[in-house]
Amino acid sequence: MATPAANAAPSVSPSLSLPPSQFARLQPHAYLLAHLSPPPASNQPSIRANGRAPSQFRVTSANAGSLTHTNGSAVVRIGDTTAVCGVRAEILHTDDIASWSVSSSSTSNSNKRRRLGEKTTDEDEGQDENEEDRAHIEDLNLLVPNLSLSTGCAPGFTPGAPPSALAQSLSHQILSLLHSTRLIRADDLRIWYQPPNLGSEALERHNESQQMEIDAGQGSEESDPQEIKAFWVLYIDVMIISLAGNPFDAAWAAVLAALRDTKLPKAWWDIDNETIICSDDISEASRLSLRGLPVASSFCVFEADAAAGWRAVVIPDVNDQKAQNQRKKGPQQKWILADPDGYEEGLSQERATLVVDKAKNGKNVILKMEKHGGWSVDTEDLRQLVEISGQRWDEMKRILDQC
Amino acid sequence: MVEPTASLSTLNRADGSASYKCPATGYDVLGSVNAPIELPARRDALKPEDATIEVFVKPGNTTAGVGERYVEGILRSVLTEVVLGRERGYPRRGVVITLAIVGGGSVERGDSYLTVLPALLHTSLLALLSASVPLAMTFSSALLGVTKSGDIVRDPSAADAKAASSLHVLAFSSKGHLLLNESEGCFDFDTWELIRERAVSICRGAAVSGTGEDVAMGERSNDARLDGFVRETVEDRLHVDYAWKIESN
Repeated sequence: MATPAANAAPSVSPSLSLPPSQFARLQPHAYLLAHLSPPPASNQPSIRANGRAPSQFRVTSANAGSLTHTNGSAVVRIGDTTAVCGVRAEILHTDDIASWSVSSSSTSNSNKRRRLGEKTTDEDEGQDENEEDRAHIEDLNLLVPNLSLSTGCAPGFTPGAPPSALAQSLSHQILSLLHSTRLIRADDLRIWYQPPNLGSEALERHNESQQMEIDAGQGSEESDPQEIKAFWVLYIDVMIISLAGNPFDAAWAAVLAALRDTKLPKAWWDIDNETIICSDDISEASRLSLRGLPVASSFCVFEADAAAGWRAVVIPDVNDQKAQNQRKKGPQQKWILADPDGYEEGLSQERATLVVDKAKNGKNVILKMEKHGGWSVDTEDLRQLVEISGQRWDEMKRILDQC
Repeated sequence: MVEPTASLSTLNRADGSASYKCPATGYDVLGSVNAPIELPARRDALKPEDATIEVFVKPGNTTAGVGERYVEGILRSVLTEVVLGRERGYPRRGVVITLAIVGGGSVERGDSYLTVLPALLHTSLLALLSASVPLAMTFSSALLGVTKSGDIVRDPSAADAKAASSLHVLAFSSKGHLLLNESEGCFDFDTWELIRERAVSICRGAAVSGTGEDVAMGERSNDARLDGFVRETVEDRLHVDYAWKIESN
């Protein structure tokens, strides 16, 4: 904390000597500004109050399999923000799905045909599989993420309080990102029943009782009609146990690491007991095969003009502003800070969040890009942020692969 | 392209209100604004020199859930920049915006909220104007989808939005700044730049070089502009409200 740059701030008169920590609390904006734009005479680099460069992320560590009673879990620590994520799988019988018999006939029919063929891989996944994934995962709500901030993670959050607006909106962001990135394959979550091949007579009897519509549509084409008997529902619970800014990145990284760690036991429908049976042999359990590795990176924008909020600002037209910036190479007016900590978040309004993945050819694929709360970030800045997020992706991939 | 319709001051008891209907997406939103009002619990607010902005979104057929909390957060952060909360009478007080989604498809749990977002933004802007809340600028917002084949569609319907490979909501201020960008789906930056260009032309007309008021007036014949739509709605309302004065002249 104690850096000489604090003394260089213009608002501190030489007669007063405040320790930097106190100055940071009294004049937070001036304190951060003094760090970011040190006087040219002092020959100091522009650096954030926490000692990072503007586009530098905090030290990140991840540990998978931390909780023993879950199917998959992870602890991710980004600086002082720590998220714990546990994934618990529960079985949802198709008998318990009210709309199943109506909606399933066609979808399970096509599933079956694919299932009989080769297992789908990354390359040959088709359009209709996407639709099917959506039909099952989204319509049946097979993914249930929840994020809790009521752990005493920061002074503003009372332990045991109802979920705050922030916690709720983070839960929604995680869920909608799980849906829009199609991270989890519906195929991993299906529990099948493969009737034994007892000859045509037994098969027909079985079909009559259970699969009338399917059979009618299909004729007598095949010998072993598989059917979906149940689904795995994944309850993804995230606890932020320490919050020092940027909860979304930490929570999403924890979800990602936990899902990579998740193992589902081998499960099948037992026709004699008419129930789902899970194998307790760990060697038979299978991991989820996730689509890609979407990595989230958040940014905030720190504006130099502290007084901007105090007066009725005459906001310049965007073209005038550009021309003005080109004319005079004045001091820098804004800094985009990667992975803001709590102190920096309190001093900035404008936020940007990017979720990127990398294609096989190393090109950045944007999966989510949002910015709101201000008007200074535009095309050029966003292009840079995509680049920075791409670098962050490499870093996160290394960390997640190691854990 | 069917243009949206809107009317101002539709509710009698609220300080300001607006209803907005977008025929392309089918959403019908009713908004009310109460400002400035006393918020007793906010005496020791985080920023005592500024007004507190509260946004409530009510879906048509269910109670509000986590999706509404999320969209409320986005609306709050956009509107906080737009409302001049330090004008006389506003600091320490509240600007309460309530938006009810009256018509159109419901947004299910975990669905993207982007399809409703432009309608919510426009309704809240019109309601704020109707309540005469001081604003730094106005804005307009567009919803664009990219289909699997790479075409850019304006205002995709709920079904098209589900099938689209990416969805984008952009909002531009009356001065041309990018106020809000929400994109989800799978896309690259070049696609986004095309989207941005298209959104600028929808919101602010094709020629964005207009720096002065004259150019802006000249462009108003191009009626596809969304910021023109906001302006005309307000003009119409003023014309009705000041009919007595205009008549007597």
